[in-house]
Amino acid sequence: MTVTEETQSEEETKKWICETCGFVYDAEEGDEDGGIPAGTKFEDIPDDWMCPVCGARKKDFREMEPGEDIPEDVN
Amino acid sequence: MGFLPGYGYFVRTAAALQWDEAAIDLRGDAAAWPALAPARRLGIETLVAGFCVGEASVSEELEPFALAALDERAATCFRLQARDEARHAAFFDRVAAEVVGVAGASPDERREALRPLLDPAFLDLFEERLPRIASRLAEHVEQLDAAVALYHLVLEGVVFTAGQFALLELLDEDEALPGLRGGVDLVLRDERWHVGFGARALGLIGGSPHTLEQLVEAAEPALRAWGGAVGPEIRARVLRLHARRLRAAGLVSEAVAA
Repeated sequence: MTVTEETQSEEETKKWICETCGFVYDAEEGDEDGGIPAGTKFEDIPDDWMCPVCGARKKDFREMEPGEDIPEDVN
Repeated sequence: MGFLPGYGYFVRTAAALQWDEAAIDLRGDAAAWPALAPARRLGIETLVAGFCVGEASVSEELEPFALAALDERAATCFRLQARDEARHAAFFDRVAAEVVGVAGASPDERREALRPLLDPAFLDLFEERLPRIASRLAEHVEQLDAAVALYHLVLEGVVFTAGQFALLELLDEDEALPGLRGGVDLVLRDERWHVGFGARALGLIGGSPHTLEQLVEAAEPALRAWGGAVGPEIRARVLRLHARRLRAAGLVSEAVAA
């Protein structure tokens, strides 16, 4: 993997998914409603932040794999 | 941000959330119960009463939802949820019988003994309104949106969530009731799945304007059904979470849920 590819891959892995309900946190958008400004990395979110849909804790999220689809239609 | 999982996502994740209510050790809780302060015991008993009655009711009302669902995977989700609700009812009945010492030889008898602790509005929500809307689904499948809104987002997302927060607050005063504490955590984890599924189902079904309006307006009156068992701080917190959920799930605009 070249440096350029590695950087691109890191850029793509900015989404975290709630393993309970499938809500996806995108650092580019943040969670303004939950007090998290756009551009905030998931790692920098306070530990008491909760999934805005189901209330799961931050530790119940996992980082999405590069290229992993948002689970619109997982069978 | 995005909230677009398909029903298949919920079917897949349900498998990882299973637990056995019979395996939770309540012997330490039973031994500690008599020494708790009377006011704390009454608070816990009232909330356990709510869950005994509420979980028993919701566990019996999901099959009409499954039959009304047009999507087979949605029907599967409703049936998976029914399994969870039966487990919750069994767990809280165990707590009532083995820890609180509620009189009665069966879950029905224990619920009857606990019912006087609950506000009539609570009983109306779970034993009148929910069964009524579930039974209507047999002839009016188009009302599935209203049924999901009431069941998943108001009764579970607001009423049960508030009761769980209140129960955790009482349990976290010390570590006297570890079995109940651990069980409530597991119930709460299941409820997150239920609420997430319900929010997504309502988005996929498409809630009518009336249903979505009701979803906003019904939360506060439903919370009052707990009476004094849930304090004002928890009520306010749960209402904020409800409004945030509706916005994050794309069910209502920011202005409506503000």
